[in-house]
Amino acid sequence: MTATFVSATTLEEALSAVAAGARAVAGGTDLVVGARQGKAALPDAIVAIDRVEALRGIANVDGALVLGALVTHEALVADTTVRERLTAIADASAIVGSHATRAQGTIGGNVMNASPAMDAGGPLLCFGATVTLRSTAGERSIDLADLWTAPGRTIATPDELLTSVRVPLPAAGTGSAYVRLEYRRQMEIAVVGATAVVTVVEGQITDVRIAITALSPTIRRIPEAEAALVGTDGGDAAVAAAAAATAAASTPISDVRGSATYRTAMAEVMARRAVASAITRATGGSVPIPASPALHGAK
Amino acid sequence: MATVETSPAAGAFVRPDGKEKVTGTGRYTADLSFTGMAHAKFRYADHSHAKVVKIDTTKARALPGVVAVVTQSDLPDVKFGGFVQDRYLFAKDVVRFEGEIVAGVAALTEEIAAEAAALIEIVYEVLPAITDFVSAMDEGSALVHTEWASYGRDENILSTGNTMAYHTIVKGDADAAMAGAEVVVKGRYVSDSSQGVPIEPRAVIAQWQGDKVTIWSSTQVPYAARAGVASTLEVPEADVRIVVPLLGGGFGAKCDLHFEGQVAALARAAKRPVKLVFSRQEEFVAIAQRREGIVMEFETGVTREGRLVARKARLVLDKGAYCGEGGFLGQMAAMHACGPYVIDNIGIESYLNYTNSQPSGSVRAPTAPQVCWGLEQHMDEVAAAIDMDPIELRRRTLIEEGAEGPTRQIFDQVGVKETLDKAVEMIGYGRDLPDDEAIGVAVGWWPCMPAPSGAYVQLNGDGSGTIITGAQENGTGAVMAMPKFVAGELGMQPEDFSILYQDTAAAPWDMGSCGSQTTFNSGRAVLAAAAEVREALLDAAADSLEADRGDLELADGNVRVKGSPERSVSIAELAGAGTVHGKGSGDVPEAPECDAGGCVGRLGNESFLAPQLITQAAHVKVDRATGVVRVLRVAAAHDSGRILNKLGADGQVYGGVVMGVGMALSEGTMMDDQGRQRNPHLLDYKLVTCSDAPEIDVEWIEYDAKNAGPRGSKGVGEPPQVPTAGAVANAIAKVLGTQVRQLPMTPERVWAAGRGVAR
Repeated sequence: MTATFVSATTLEEALSAVAAGARAVAGGTDLVVGARQGKAALPDAIVAIDRVEALRGIANVDGALVLGALVTHEALVADTTVRERLTAIADASAIVGSHATRAQGTIGGNVMNASPAMDAGGPLLCFGATVTLRSTAGERSIDLADLWTAPGRTIATPDELLTSVRVPLPAAGTGSAYVRLEYRRQMEIAVVGATAVVTVVEGQITDVRIAITALSPTIRRIPEAEAALVGTDGGDAAVAAAAAATAAASTPISDVRGSATYRTAMAEVMARRAVASAITRATGGSVPIPASPALHGAK
Repeated sequence: MATVETSPAAGAFVRPDGKEKVTGTGRYTADLSFTGMAHAKFRYADHSHAKVVKIDTTKARALPGVVAVVTQSDLPDVKFGGFVQDRYLFAKDVVRFEGEIVAGVAALTEEIAAEAAALIEIVYEVLPAITDFVSAMDEGSALVHTEWASYGRDENILSTGNTMAYHTIVKGDADAAMAGAEVVVKGRYVSDSSQGVPIEPRAVIAQWQGDKVTIWSSTQVPYAARAGVASTLEVPEADVRIVVPLLGGGFGAKCDLHFEGQVAALARAAKRPVKLVFSRQEEFVAIAQRREGIVMEFETGVTREGRLVARKARLVLDKGAYCGEGGFLGQMAAMHACGPYVIDNIGIESYLNYTNSQPSGSVRAPTAPQVCWGLEQHMDEVAAAIDMDPIELRRRTLIEEGAEGPTRQIFDQVGVKETLDKAVEMIGYGRDLPDDEAIGVAVGWWPCMPAPSGAYVQLNGDGSGTIITGAQENGTGAVMAMPKFVAGELGMQPEDFSILYQDTAAAPWDMGSCGSQTTFNSGRAVLAAAAEVREALLDAAADSLEADRGDLELADGNVRVKGSPERSVSIAELAGAGTVHGKGSGDVPEAPECDAGGCVGRLGNESFLAPQLITQAAHVKVDRATGVVRVLRVAAAHDSGRILNKLGADGQVYGGVVMGVGMALSEGTMMDDQGRQRNPHLLDYKLVTCSDAPEIDVEWIEYDAKNAGPRGSKGVGEPPQVPTAGAVANAIAKVLGTQVRQLPMTPERVWAAGRGVAR
């Protein structure tokens, strides 16, 4: 049973509550829903941070987009810079959970939940995002790639609060896409997902980031797949090679959502679609946001 | 022949309970509370199959705030069950599935009740779980019920060991005809079980006053619940009153005695009102009402011209741990293995087998959607084997007036061929489509269920009226349409009437909201009661107007002389102090004559009274790389006789098709090797969402059906789900070039079938 509940209005209040052992809640879409499902009981002490003004807003700072911890999925989808320059994040944020999840769920909570099925996780990783963790003792900046250690686990200490996520804006000529296997059209959770961020200069691929979602204990990039694509013209053969390398590097589990065999096969399909869509977007073509539903029946 | 036309009685009718439901002012069972009320929690079995050696409730009783703990040892030694009496309210000596209730606790808060339930100490002797419902019938298999032979049962139920009921449907000599058939086609299909998933998890509140108990319950069958409470607690039915506040959906999942007895026992022991509200997980696991899994093997002998000379089938159904009201499932499945087709010789066997898993029962058109899904794919395979278009094969073999049914019943007028032609026309069958899209067609049927009912209609002193019916509103709007019937009979307006319903102390017995029977039977009773009121009004008006009774008519709230509207008296005036009333039941239609002498296990479904007939055509798009299927459009043409409320009837089709799409593609209960559900929650039991709903077009084939219900109507609630999965399956098979032989046809299964991988 929850013993204390504090609603913080300043970052300092929030940090001292966290330092005293409280768990932060913003949208509540993981903590509260999880407790109701019996995954984990509500913590004894909770600090609500949804009224902390300092954690709000999206800002363009020195060539990077800085997302406050309280930025919702809905706000990300609506942001012009996100849609145009960080399109994969918009693809992902547009299909997280339900309308209610997207209106209520925050990027800070989503990142710290450390789910290998986090939709926006692959895009943030591929864009080289860093997060700011703050405590009453100070703050540090961590590469997202170093934050997640296992399903539900991060390197953050219990007294630290994620205050913002910094996403560097990519070079001109970059396109990106996040594609997920979707059994139904709404209220889905990632069973297999792939992100691609591709930079094309004069018909040649100069930079590639490819990441997998729900295919390993944490969301991670696949260097073998990136190597298969960089330096090529991004034609079908190169895309296929990158997709095959993605599937080969995947280590999915078998559960009620799908067998490991099927998930591995779908890793290839999702990677192929993500890379092809990223190249299309990088070269001036159009793929609707979100990409996933538009790609039903694609190659 | 049937004709396509619009019934004059059809038209928009907005249900009177709609506003309170959509504005949130309506009260459901979980919304109610009473002074001094305690909260119930159940302790469920810790094993799927085990002997209960000892139950120690000492620690639970000692927990502060606990007001009652009840086990079977506190109750009469009475077993219950609709066709086989095989179950106690609380487990006595053996637990047989994960949701079996071993004990109940009532406490001052839900949290204390949950803590106390966990403190009950139970010593088990664990037994092997029998989970494979096919091998359960092997000789030498361990038994789910070792005492099965001693149970009370319906005299027409033939049981052996784990086979709770064995049924056959037999016509002619299927073996000989099969041996002589020009072409023989075999097909095996497997349907996983699924769930009804009403959005309202069930809730029960019981309150005793002296020796009488009032129980508020989210049930579809209040009279069956009353009978169950009376028998298991050994109290007279007159002392048990079941009231159903607004019901938040049922889909058949709330069709039985479910927990009213346990909560009443807790309330009696606690000497307080006691309330039980299920979590979503309990709603999945604890209910005795899952849609049964079925293994189906079909064999059809056919001429090259498409005459069905023989049909054999062997159906094995997963009954789960207990009978409940679902003892008839095997016979119903056998009739659906015949389908609405003319078949010369038939030999169908069905086995309804016990397992150590959740009991199955009547979820919307029980057994029909699964068997139709298998049979209609099999029919497409038969058509392919004789190189005939599957629509043409159906045109040549569907029943029509004068045709002979599976047990040689002779059909009256039926509109099934017209539903086929209409659905095919609506969907544009045969047009060119991209190679990842296709149209599939399936045909199904469902009987009208004749049953007694009773109702009262009374007129109040101000000329308004009250309809008192035992009918139960499950969300379909069937009860909500009754003011329209009565108003029509009495020349009044539907708004003049309120309905007193869902209260067993108010009205005579009714079967409840099941079997698509509310309009058919309860509607008949209400109309009969209205006719008595009409007679009383005519008598009174004849006196008052000094006119001949035969010259009078009821219109616009008055009784008047035909042709002389100035000679009239208002119904309000005739109602006087408010004592004008009528009662009625109407004559229950008789089952059609048939020759079922060769059939084993005759429970009444061996012939189909006034069958409802349905063709649906589904246009789907298959993502071959992933196996993900989207249903783009469904054309639904239905024969439900005369449509009395088109808005409501169309709504039943929309809902049924969407439920059918879910069953086709994503809704399946997965079980582990102990018969426990692996996905008892809405994250991984995938209902379809509004976004997944296809475009749905509905047409009704209407004519005056003989032997039908009020004003030529048949039932309408269950049939819409019957052929949807079959139509989707046939469309998928066309895209893939092979059948998907397991239901639900999940992306992984579609993908595997498309790759030719056996799974």
